[in-house]
Amino acid sequence: MTVGTLDQELAADLAAASLVLARRFAAGATLWCLAPSWEPHAQHVAVEFVHPVIVGKKALPAVALTGPDLVAAGRVSVRAGDVVLAVAGADDPQVRDVLRRAPAWGATTLWIGSGGRPPPGAADHVLWLDDPDPALPATGGFVLLYHLLWELTHVCFEHPGLLTEQAPGSVCITCSDEGRLGEVVAPGRVRTAGGVEDVSTLLVDPVAPGDLVLVHAGTAITRVDP
Amino acid sequence: MRFVDEFRDPAAARTLLGAIERLAAPDRHHKFMEVCGGHTHTIYRHGIEHLLPANVELVHGPGCPVCVIPMGRVDDAMWLAEQPDVIFTCFGDMMRVPGSNGSLLEAKARGADVRFVYSPLDALALATRNPDRQVVFFALGFETTAPSTAVTLVRARELGVANFSVFCNHVTIVPPLKAILDSPDLRLDGFLGPGHVSTVVGNRPYRFVPEVYGKPIVVAGFEPLDILASVAMLLTQLREGRCEVENQYSRIVRDEGNPAALALMGQVFALRPHFEWRGLGFISQSALRLHDDFAEFDAEQRFAMPGVRVADPKACQCGEVLKGVLKPWECKVFGTACTPETPIGTCMVSPEGACAAYYNFGRMHRDAAHLVARG
Repeated sequence: MTVGTLDQELAADLAAASLVLARRFAAGATLWCLAPSWEPHAQHVAVEFVHPVIVGKKALPAVALTGPDLVAAGRVSVRAGDVVLAVAGADDPQVRDVLRRAPAWGATTLWIGSGGRPPPGAADHVLWLDDPDPALPATGGFVLLYHLLWELTHVCFEHPGLLTEQAPGSVCITCSDEGRLGEVVAPGRVRTAGGVEDVSTLLVDPVAPGDLVLVHAGTAITRVDP
Repeated sequence: MRFVDEFRDPAAARTLLGAIERLAAPDRHHKFMEVCGGHTHTIYRHGIEHLLPANVELVHGPGCPVCVIPMGRVDDAMWLAEQPDVIFTCFGDMMRVPGSNGSLLEAKARGADVRFVYSPLDALALATRNPDRQVVFFALGFETTAPSTAVTLVRARELGVANFSVFCNHVTIVPPLKAILDSPDLRLDGFLGPGHVSTVVGNRPYRFVPEVYGKPIVVAGFEPLDILASVAMLLTQLREGRCEVENQYSRIVRDEGNPAALALMGQVFALRPHFEWRGLGFISQSALRLHDDFAEFDAEQRFAMPGVRVADPKACQCGEVLKGVLKPWECKVFGTACTPETPIGTCMVSPEGACAAYYNFGRMHRDAAHLVARG
């Protein structure tokens, strides 16, 4: 893949992801990078964002998450407002598990990969190369993608007016049929994008730490299974 | 569940819209009702109504509990709120719903102790912290919210909190669907079924829709692509001559719902013989009261409430909007005398009310929306 062959759809996804990333950084986010099968990609992304290679550009906080248990690492590292970026194939179980929990941690998610696509909703932004070649992760396609992501994020920083996120519209708990994703911390304690809350888990018991539930008006109304 | 950009992918939306155009019979006008206020909000917020082919129409149903609360019940809430030593608690949107003598917000401005809470459990906590005051919770909502009230009442009894009570206005989803299907005003071809209500009740309660009325129903998620996929599923059923309950929101909704929640609701609530719905009139067995075992927590028994039925303002056409007979902008006072800042009718109060959703998001012309969609 070259810049010339970047298709229009992927280009639009990349631009949208860059804008969201810039807005999150502007609001104080840290970028957490993971690539369980190809750890150098996670380290490369982190280095890319951290080093101010162009004079006057910001060094943006980014960390590579590595190790045997990325869910545990993410759980203790990621804070509400952060961004989690994964470089992985669609069937990577660790990445799927981290990304489905990330909304409960309040994080925005990006997924870079190739081959068969992940299911809809697996991440907030999916930057995908549809090429099925299993060697693609080593060919530079991913590197080009996250370099573009980094550059475009800095382009957004050149337009401060773009960096203010629209305030989310208010919703009525009952009329919107609200359901917020939460991760059980302990019986009666659930972590959501808003922080750790007192939530009754009576209707979904027994629960264990790490279970995902849907919260409505202070009560977990259903489990969210993988 | 959340707003997810991947569920708003323009390319995927275009693909689905193409499928909808192919599936819609050119010689027919397809009219589907989205039951849930959350769906109405998504449809207007993302301009979905304008992207659909002209012969596929979405009609907004009575799935916004704030919108269907009759004025007399709001007046009762106001009366309760103005009693001495009462702390009256409710969800935020209920504060602005107009009764015949203003809103709870105005009652608060006049000195009543009205507080909005996120959960009935918060109201119970308030009661434990204020043992010398009566704390009343204004309970409303469909089967998504009723379990939270049930959990709270069980906890109140366990804790022996004597100064807590509930003004119960919970409603159920199936009877209004029946009422709408029986209404001579509407000719509907199918329904987008509610999402999170169905996490509690499951898919089985909707079986009467295809079996008795011969209409398809698809339980739908809340993202734009969920809505479009559900419309495509409805049209596919019609095209193939099928008529069933289908579940587009299978990532969250299970067939059986949440049996524990249903069982608890069965202990704590009982069906009212009838209940008034704004716009739909009295519908039998469509609302919940507290079960006799929980009568000690029933605000309607603890306080001598007026319980007077009050007619809607003549200018307000919320009733027709709620039945899908009128579009919001066809109401005589829409956007002029009635706005989200100064609502006359309930549909203009909640962001999920059809009028407020259309006022906030829906005023883009169909042609402009098509231009945006086609890039």
